[in-house]
Amino acid sequence: MKPYIQLTLAQLRLFGRNRQVLFWTLFFPVVFIFMLGTFMGNGSGGAVEGYWIDEDGSERSAQVLAALEEQKAVLKLEQAKDREAALEELRHGTKQVLIIIPAGFGDTVEAAVTGQHSGVSDSPAGSLTVYYDQTQASKSMSALNAAAQAADEVSKAVVEYSPVVAVEPVGVQSLNLTFLDFIVPGIVAMMIMSNNLNGVAGQIASWRERGILRRMQSTPLRPSTFIAAQITARLLMNGSQALIVLLLGIFVFGAQMNGSWLLLLGFVLLGTLAFMAIGFIIAGLARTPESAGPIAGFVSFPLLFLGGIFFPVSDMPAFMQPIVKAIPITHLSTGLRQVMNVGAGIGEVWVEALVLGGWLAAAFIAASLVFKWE
Amino acid sequence: METAQKTERQHPVGGSEAEAIIEVRGLTKRYGGDTVVKGIDFDVKRGEIFGLLGPNGAGKTTTMEMIEGLRRPDDGYARVAGYDTRSQLAKVKEVIGVQLQATSLFDLLTVREITRMYASFYNTPTVPIEPLLESMILGDKLNGRVKHLSGGQKQRLAIALAIVHSPQVVFLDEPTTGLDPQARRTLWDIVLRLRDEGKTIVLSTHYMDEARILADRICLMDQGKIVALDTPANLISSLASESAIEFRLPAGDHAAGADHPSAERLAERLETIDGVRRIEFRKESWVLYTDALQRSLTGLIAFAEQEGLALTDLQTRTATLEDVFIQMTGRSLREE
Ligand SMILES: Nc1ncnc2c1ncn2[C@@H]1O[C@H](COP(=O)(O)OP(=O)(O)O)[C@@H](O)[C@H]1O
Ligand SMILES: [Mg+2]
Repeated sequence: MKPYIQLTLAQLRLFGRNRQVLFWTLFFPVVFIFMLGTFMGNGSGGAVEGYWIDEDGSERSAQVLAALEEQKAVLKLEQAKDREAALEELRHGTKQVLIIIPAGFGDTVEAAVTGQHSGVSDSPAGSLTVYYDQTQASKSMSALNAAAQAADEVSKAVVEYSPVVAVEPVGVQSLNLTFLDFIVPGIVAMMIMSNNLNGVAGQIASWRERGILRRMQSTPLRPSTFIAAQITARLLMNGSQALIVLLLGIFVFGAQMNGSWLLLLGFVLLGTLAFMAIGFIIAGLARTPESAGPIAGFVSFPLLFLGGIFFPVSDMPAFMQPIVKAIPITHLSTGLRQVMNVGAGIGEVWVEALVLGGWLAAAFIAASLVFKWE
Repeated sequence: METAQKTERQHPVGGSEAEAIIEVRGLTKRYGGDTVVKGIDFDVKRGEIFGLLGPNGAGKTTTMEMIEGLRRPDDGYARVAGYDTRSQLAKVKEVIGVQLQATSLFDLLTVREITRMYASFYNTPTVPIEPLLESMILGDKLNGRVKHLSGGQKQRLAIALAIVHSPQVVFLDEPTTGLDPQARRTLWDIVLRLRDEGKTIVLSTHYMDEARILADRICLMDQGKIVALDTPANLISSLASESAIEFRLPAGDHAAGADHPSAERLAERLETIDGVRRIEFRKESWVLYTDALQRSLTGLIAFAEQEGLALTDLQTRTATLEDVFIQMTGRSLREE
């Protein structure tokens, strides 16, 4: 117990006294959030693609379709052959929106126009059902905006003031996500990955190079004690850094937090541990100490782009999807994002948690096998 | 200043009867095709300073680290306090303390913090930290960061960390390399004090003065082999010749260099001078080893007069470990 406490303390002191590193590890993510969140604003990431289904087939529904057609700069829609297949594509992220004009839509609108629905003008009569991808903030926003605009147009054509046609988004109705909401969990995921993976690999390799580990090897200190202390100190340090950035993102920059804090913390810890373990593997495998840094960079750099940090994973080409689904960073960014943006509970993100947990377990076993003092 | 004076000590049982605390037999290490330690045998007696002396690359570090259990021998074995360094490494680690040749410590920790950390690695009782650091002349650096220590202070801290658990055997690998003369002397005093406190010390060095001053016995190593092993006094007196006469001849003069055609003839004639036992030519100097200094010197000067040679840088000295090394290996101990 004594060596464990002393080593943990030593590592925390090293962290605390390395002001430069401390500053930059917090500064970079915050600057990223500030720049991306502020300047990208609500900017839509290109056109949104999706399907429409006209279950009504009336004159009114044709009017809606025509209005949607006018939005084709931002909303590229095709007719869906099958509702289930279209929803499936939505889930896979290849399409972002599905607009359904329900049966009876025309009649309801007619009824509203002829006054049978008067007095309740604040609740529109005909509604479009819009399925959209909640996790793709910017795209979904433009899809909903475009659909709302189409609905508006039809409304205006029908009566002057009260909307008779409205958009009914399916899922979370109050959801109003900006790019900031999208980017904060992404940046935090990136931070967790780089602090732990690159941090561990770089530090252990440098300690090995400088003979620090060899000197410890000549004492009765056990490797497991050393690793346990490293994990504890880094969990405390990197975990709180991630938390600080999350708090800044939420309370200073105004990113949404719709889910459970406990679950969010769970993902931060799980991600920290998983990437730390991978860092230990790299430190153990690197032939020479100098190669550990570049290897860590080589591993983490593509993960930055594949793992849904800056772009939604669905933007990746289809042939990349299996890779995207396999790497841990995807599950960390998705997990954080689902909890923060959508307010997902463990029931919805257990797959992400499980995959991260699997990575963690496998990586720690591998790390303990390849760990060496020199 | 009477520093670094070795007090002559009688070993408790005396001579070869003293208990061996380290036993090395047939110890061998290969790297690729090179055998860098070639099946060496020796014993280290309890309570002595055992000096491993040899040029860079002789295999001193490799030998020490095999005994410490940091490198696996390819053949042979080493035992410390009866424990095998391979099968009973955990036991060995409790009884030894090491200062590695190339080691660095956490720069951002303070002297006290790092000492406390190392102390925590041992299951055996450790010594009180402040008196320990004071005895290493680090008393005013307790709260200073390792980063800000001088070279000598860092080495003394490394020794403090090596003895924090009161080990029976302390390994010091080139503890004074790179230190200024003052810091070296301070360190020598510390090493001698540790020995007087009853610790066994295995110390490597490529400085012959250091080995002569500190070591009770010197193990002279070269190219992975033991060339000689004895007390410094015995090693030096093992040379038949006890004194050396050194001189140079001006460049351009005949026999200025050993490869000069007339050099061999000159050497043959120098050898006939009264008392001269052996002749060396190294680093542009001629060295005559003699057991009759005065007669040889007179003979040399007469010879020079007769031949019209202008001797320069003429000096005489007693034979040193360096001379022993040259006699044994034909090469110089110092780096070229
Ligand atoms: N890890 C290693 N790999 C390959 N060669 C090594 C290694 N360690 C030492 N050597 C070689 O073994 C020889 C002895 O080295 P070393 O024990 O460090 O000598 P010394 O300490 O006497 O200077 C040297 O030629 C050195 O190059
Ligand atoms: Mg060495």
